[in-house]
Order: sequence, then C-alpha cells, then structure tokens
Amino acid sequence: MAKTSTSAGHGAHGDGAHSEHAAHAHISRGTYYRVFAALMVLMALTVGAWWIEGIVALPRLLGVAIAMAIAIAKTTLIVLYFMHVKVSERATQLYAAAAFIGFAIMVIITMGDYFARGWPPPPGPLP
Amino acid sequence: MATTALPQRGYLHDDTPNLGEWIRSWLFTVDHKRIAILYLLAINFFFLLGGLAATFVRIELITPQGDLMSSDVYNRMFTLHGVIMIFFFLIPAIPAVLGNFLMPLMLGARDLAFPRLNLLSWYLYMFGGVFALSAAVLGGVDTGWTFYTPFSSTYSNSNVILTITGAFIMGFSSIATAVNFIATTHKMRAPGLTWFRLPLFVWAMYATSLVIVLATPVVGIALLLVAIERIWGVGIFDPALGGDPVLFQHLFWFYSHPAVYIMILPAFGVISELISTFSRKRIFGYEFIAFSSMAIAILGFLVWGHHMFVSSQSVYSSLVFSFITMLIAIPSAIKVFNWTATLYKGSISYRTPMLYALGFMGLFVIGGLTGIFLGVVAIDIHVTDTYFVVAHFHYVMVGGTIMAYLGGIHFWWPKMTGRMYNEIWGGISALIIFVGFNMTFFPQFVLGYLGMPRRYHVYPEEFQILHVLSSAGATVLAVGFVIPIIYLMLSLKTGRIAGDNPWEATGLEWRTSSPPPTHNFEAIPVVTTEAYAYPPEAAARDAAEWRPGSPL
Amino acid sequence: MATTTPTTPTATPAPAHEHGHEAHGRELLHHFESAQQQKETATLGMWIFLVTEIMLFGGIFMAYIVYRWAFPDVWAEAAHHLNTPLGAVNTVVLLVSSLTVALAVNAAEEGNRRRLLTMLGITLLLGATFLVIKGYEYSEKFAHCAGAANPVAWVTGGARLGESECLVPGRNFIFPEAHGAEGAEAGHGTADSYAQPQAGLGSPYQLFYFLYFVATGLHAVHMVIGLTIVSILTFIAWRGVITPTYYTPIEVGGLYWHLIDIIWVFLFPLFYLVH
Repeated sequence: MAKTSTSAGHGAHGDGAHSEHAAHAHISRGTYYRVFAALMVLMALTVGAWWIEGIVALPRLLGVAIAMAIAIAKTTLIVLYFMHVKVSERATQLYAAAAFIGFAIMVIITMGDYFARGWPPPPGPLP
Repeated sequence: MATTALPQRGYLHDDTPNLGEWIRSWLFTVDHKRIAILYLLAINFFFLLGGLAATFVRIELITPQGDLMSSDVYNRMFTLHGVIMIFFFLIPAIPAVLGNFLMPLMLGARDLAFPRLNLLSWYLYMFGGVFALSAAVLGGVDTGWTFYTPFSSTYSNSNVILTITGAFIMGFSSIATAVNFIATTHKMRAPGLTWFRLPLFVWAMYATSLVIVLATPVVGIALLLVAIERIWGVGIFDPALGGDPVLFQHLFWFYSHPAVYIMILPAFGVISELISTFSRKRIFGYEFIAFSSMAIAILGFLVWGHHMFVSSQSVYSSLVFSFITMLIAIPSAIKVFNWTATLYKGSISYRTPMLYALGFMGLFVIGGLTGIFLGVVAIDIHVTDTYFVVAHFHYVMVGGTIMAYLGGIHFWWPKMTGRMYNEIWGGISALIIFVGFNMTFFPQFVLGYLGMPRRYHVYPEEFQILHVLSSAGATVLAVGFVIPIIYLMLSLKTGRIAGDNPWEATGLEWRTSSPPPTHNFEAIPVVTTEAYAYPPEAAARDAAEWRPGSPL
Repeated sequence: MATTTPTTPTATPAPAHEHGHEAHGRELLHHFESAQQQKETATLGMWIFLVTEIMLFGGIFMAYIVYRWAFPDVWAEAAHHLNTPLGAVNTVVLLVSSLTVALAVNAAEEGNRRRLLTMLGITLLLGATFLVIKGYEYSEKFAHCAGAANPVAWVTGGARLGESECLVPGRNFIFPEAHGAEGAEAGHGTADSYAQPQAGLGSPYQLFYFLYFVATGLHAVHMVIGLTIVSILTFIAWRGVITPTYYTPIEVGGLYWHLIDIIWVFLFPLFYLVH
C-alpha cells in the first residue's frame, strides 16, 4: 500500500532522513537511570571540589576550570541522552552544536578585546 | 498527497458572508501567503513612516541653521528614522514579505512548518511596532538607533524604555520567522528537491535565518539590561556603577553587525532570481553563490568590532577585526562576479524587476567598496561618524535592500495578485529611484570626506550646496517611491491577468496558479531538474526571435 | 503549540496514508506528509528555538565573564553571602526533574498513560519546589535590606539583623565586609547625586548581585513558563491525547524543560561555588 506513486515520492521528502531513522532510535529507561546516577556523581564532585578549595588554597583558575568542566560534562550528558540528541537526526545535532559554537565565538572574540585592552583599568580616579 | 478534493481557487478568494467574517479570515489566517500580505501592508506603512522622518531630516538640513527644529527634536527625528527603518522595515522586509510568501512555494510545501507561529510573528511585529510608535508619539527617543550606554541608560530624558521594548518584541518576531524558515527548509522540501536544486533565494533565506537565530537574542538581552539599568538605576554598563559601556557595544554589535547581513542576504537571494530569469540563462556558479551566502552568514559573526574602532576597544582587536572585514569582501564579490557572468551572452530583457536588479548591482558595488574603505582602521578613524559612513550604509541598505525589495515585489507581483503591473510606469519609477538615490547619497560621500559629521543639524555654510543637492535628490527619491504605490494599487483593479508564469521563469512557485490556491499545489510537485534549468540555447533563441512584450 | 487538532477540514490526510493508523488522521496537520516528518520538524524547530534561548542567556554569561575576570576577589567574597546549601538542593531538584521528564517521554513512547501522568506530576512538584526555595533565597536578601534577620522575622517583625546589609542592587546596597575595598573604588562612584550612603554603590560587589538577580530571575521566569508548559502537557495527557504514535508535545516540552535545567547547571557553580 505504500507503493502508490505519491507516497513513494514522499519517502524522499526532506533529507531522506526519515527512512534512515524510521524506527526512531530509542533510549532505554535503564540508560536514563544510569545517566542520572552519573549526574548525581558529578554534582557531588563539583560541590566536593568547592569544599576542598575552601580548605586547600588552589590556583583560582584551576577551581573555575574544574567547575566548568563538570558543568560541561553534565550538560553533555543531558543534551545527548535526556534530550535525545544522540539519536536525533543530523540537522538537530547540528543546531544543538551551533548554539554552543555561537556562544564560544562571542566569548572568545569579546574576551580577546578585554585581554588586549588591559581590562580592568587600574582603580582610582581617571587620569 | 495528491488529493483531488482540494478546491482550486486563489488564496485571496473570499466567500465570507459579512465584513466581520472577512476581517477574521485575514487576522486569524495561518496561510503563509495571507500572512505575507499582512506583513506587506504593515511593513510598507512603517517604510512610509520612516521615510516621513527622513523627509523632515532632509528639510532641516537644507539650511545651515537649525530653523525647522531644535537640536533636540532633530535628534529624536533621526532616531525615529533609524529605529523604524532598521527594526521595522529593513530587517523584516524581504524575509517577512517575500520570504513568507515564497519559501513554501519554492520548496514545494503546502505551508511553512509552523503556521501558527508564523501568525504569532506578525502579531509580535505589530505589537513591537505599537511600542515603538507610542514612544514616538509620547515625545520620541534621542539616543540614535544604537542606544549606546551610558547615554541611553542614565542621561537620556526620552522614551528609551518604550522603544527598547518595541525592538525587543520585534526581535522575537524575526526569531519566529527564522525558526520557521530553517525547519521548513530542512524538513519540507518536495521530493527530489535536493539542497543543490534549491533556488538561491532559499539559500539566502536560510543563511539569513541562521544569523537571526544566533544573533537576535544577544541584542535582546543587551537591551533588556539597558532597560533594567534605566528603571532601577542599577546595572552593568554604567561606569559610575563600576561597569563597562564598551561591553554594551560588544553585545549590541554582536547582533547589529550580523543584522546588516540579515538585511542584505535576502536581497542577494532576490537578485540571483531576477538576474537569471531576465537573462534567460542558468545562473553562473550556482554553488559559489549558495556557499558565499553561508560564508557571509558565518564570517559576519566575526567582524562586529569594526563598528568600535574609536570606542576604546583594543587596537590589536581592531586590527584583527579589520582583517576579517576584508575577508567578507570575498564572498560578496563572488556574488557580483557571478551575476555579471550570468548576464554575459544572456538574452537580457529590461523589465522593471531587471532594472532594479541592475541598479542594485551598481549601487551595491559602490556601497560594498566604500565598506572596504571603512574596514581599514586608519581611514575609518578619519571618517568615523561622518556622512561618509551615512552614505556608505545607505548605498548598501537603500541601494541594496530596498532596490531588491522593490525588484522582488514587482517580479512576484503577478504571482501574489494574479495581475500585471504597468510596465511603463514601472520602468519610469525604477529610473527615478535610481537617479534620485544617487543624487541624495553621492553628495554625502563628499560631505563626509570633507568632514561633515552625522547627527548634526547645524553645519558650516560651505557644506550647504551639497546638502541642498542631497535634499533635492531625496525629493526625487520620494516621488520614485510614491509612483509604484499608485500603479501597484491600480493594477489590482485594472492590471492584465498575468497567467501562471508571465516571465517564463523556472522555479516551483511558477508551476502553480496565480494567485496560488490556499494549499499551494494541487499535487506536491516532484523535482527532477536543477534550479534555473533554462535550456542552454534559450538565450540565443530568444535573441533571434526577439521576445514579444519586451519593451526594448 | 503544535498540539491541538487541525482546524482546517479541507485537507484531511489522504486515505492512502502510508501508516494507516487512524490516530494519525487526527494529529497530523494538513501540511505534513507523515507523522514522522511532523515529529522531526517539531523537534528541529524546538531545537532552533533553544539555540536562541542559549544565546539569550549567553549575553548574561558574557557579562559575567567580563566582570569576573575583572574582579575575581570581589566575586569570591560576594559569593559567600549566597546560600550555597540551598543552591545545591535546588540543583539536585532540577536534575531529578530532568530525569522525571525524560522518563515521562519514555512512558509516553511506551503508551503507559499512568506512568506518564505520575512523572509529569512529580515534575510539576519539583519545579514548584525549586521556585519556592528560590523565592526563599530572594526573600532572605530582601529581608536583610529591610533590616530583618530572615524572611519570617521580616513578616512578623522579629529578630533584627546585627550588621546592616543589603545585597539587592540599588541605592541602599550595602555590602557588609566591603568597607575596606570601598575606598579604592570610590573614584568610580562619583555618585554625589545619590542621597544614600555609598556603601558599595559603584563598587563591583553590586555587579555580582546584579548579575545574580538578573540571571536567576530570568531563569525563574523560564521556570514559570516551563511549569505552564508541563501543566498543559499534564492536562492533554490526562485527556488522552498522547499516544505511542503521537507524543511530540511531551518530547518538545521536555526539551524546553531540559534546557532550563542546563542553564541552572551553569548558574549554580558560577554564582554559588566561587572561591
């Protein structure tokens, strides 16, 4: 019944990605629980790292790097599994990545200016 | 689904019993074509309004003294002109009118992916417009369209918040349109319509949408922060509060530089269609034009700092920005060269849309090349905030976007309304606009280079001749803009019935009836050829036969 | 919302529809060819919208980076006046709610209406919990400005705050331990026009709290929107609109919820975990 001329034609509708993903890949409940466990571990890690930094003096940049690395790891897990990007079609993956790339461009270029400019200006009244 | 049950009548056709129903059938429509018409009316209204503000500015500038208005009123007037023209005309013009109308038709789809979102975008646009207009009515705003802090956040006594709210809401309207276009392009193409068979207009709209989606929210949040700073006296852009005003400029231009590509990329798309159709030739270098649109969209995100050369931005940053700005010239030039190559040995018919397209090419080249001057740090610092800059971006925005918009409106008018406009008056008004435009803005290059700063309403007497010339040109330009309104309106009643494909163009939109039925296609078309598949010998044959109907 | 049934009767999908489920007939909008296409389009559209949300918060993060880079010591000191345990609890609350939303999508996919409703209900509760905790944190700051030791005392007129402190940005802003640093910054704050004592006006301490209130406030607005969406989803799930062949609203609404979670995952370490 799928072989009427129209519906066969519509198989090629869009990217033709339909047929490839026809049985929209499925993430099992077990995976969700495992991802959640990982998120909890990361949560404990980030608070733990903060607590340790309160006791031991670590370089400030290192603390930020650890916190951000953990936040990015959490985000990656959520995006890939909870938001199904891992099993989504290519265009969705592209746009999921585009957001972070766009943000990175903004930060890198703007901070480039601040680094080169000598920000912040020395405190005190303007010369 | 080739249901034969679809009623074949134009989307404009009404069988509503009374006026109230008729109004409802328009205001609650989810048909992309009707929404495009709603946008057409609204956007042209704002265009006339912005033009009115420009008229007052030009009248004031006829004399060196400030005799028509005070400097404060003048500030409000050019700000009104800038805000209306940029946020409510140039940014939505081609995407919301032509894009809305044509994207589903060109893609062989029945509608955009999210029709109700599309209607919402129109309401957001109107809502934002109401805010901006009420700000104007309540006394206007004097910050310039750029809302630079700390003037906008602390010192200005005008209606900054209302205007900002208007721009903010309008931003969400363009986001809604962009989301729709991207999703539609990805998911709703007709069978056989591969990416490299898409019309170049679709490529251009896709690139535009990408820019809108990535850039617009940033200006949204920047304007929101300015509003908060203004309302509560707390904030992050005011140096008195420990903040950095240059940060606002970074956030603002992160949107507003890509925004100039939001304005010009759709114009490129329109011109590609026009040049190919009226040369009766396959477009030269299809892939190059398509990829140059994407290249412009992406590179456009890397150059915003060239608006900030004198803002106390780091000089090293300025050099990098300057260099990348030069790179943008490459994809822009690729387009112009490819259009020129398309003309070569084409059977060119000088119909109104083609006149606009040719005018576009000349003016855009001037606008683009002066853009390169301005991308060079040394020259830019010399002419910053002079009329040279004003002339440059009017050559790109008016000479580029508005020419393409008018060309596109004429080109697709038969499809939108089913009737032809008056070709004689069309040609005349296109020429008037071209002449009037150059008369208005070319003197401004000279003025700027001589040192006339922008946003001043009194000036030394030696500049008067050039200012009078410019104002006279603006009058000619205004006449040129009014004539099309008249004959296009008249054509609705008296125009010749156009037929499905009056231009013998390729493209799916010409395969359906004029005006198209509500669901666009009787049966979803199947595409088997590339875009612009004019037979190789079409141009030569036309030249031999001399196409009837061609005025030249 | 792409959730309601089609309004135009003119284009009911052709009978020769590939899948032939009658369920598709109702939910498939007239301009789509197949349920699969409709679902993928909705998902893609939502993702494109999420891009704009990320860039919206991106502007705030950009400002945050600039000022934290400028005033690292201020940040470390200022952050200690936020309630980190409550922030951590809120993070866990949101992470759990993300799990329940993911499980709700799973339940919808498997056609388990009971589990779907349970999961959506738990999500609503967790979302509300988050807002209550957040509201308590805010009211603590406002109570301090009013001179009360805590929000309860603020209402009942109970215990007063020993040291004057007001961490809500504005004219009354007073950062308790900032008196030493204040002198150095006084050059920036030539705020003679302000009647109130300086106490941190013009000092970067206020920048931290400004960004804190704007970022978490905007996030809270998104939470309210998210809760509204989940409420609507619960309603339509209760009405039985959601079937294993049509659960796009749950999927798309879930994406929005996860995004709110992701934003908080960054806000938490950036504001609460600073040394």
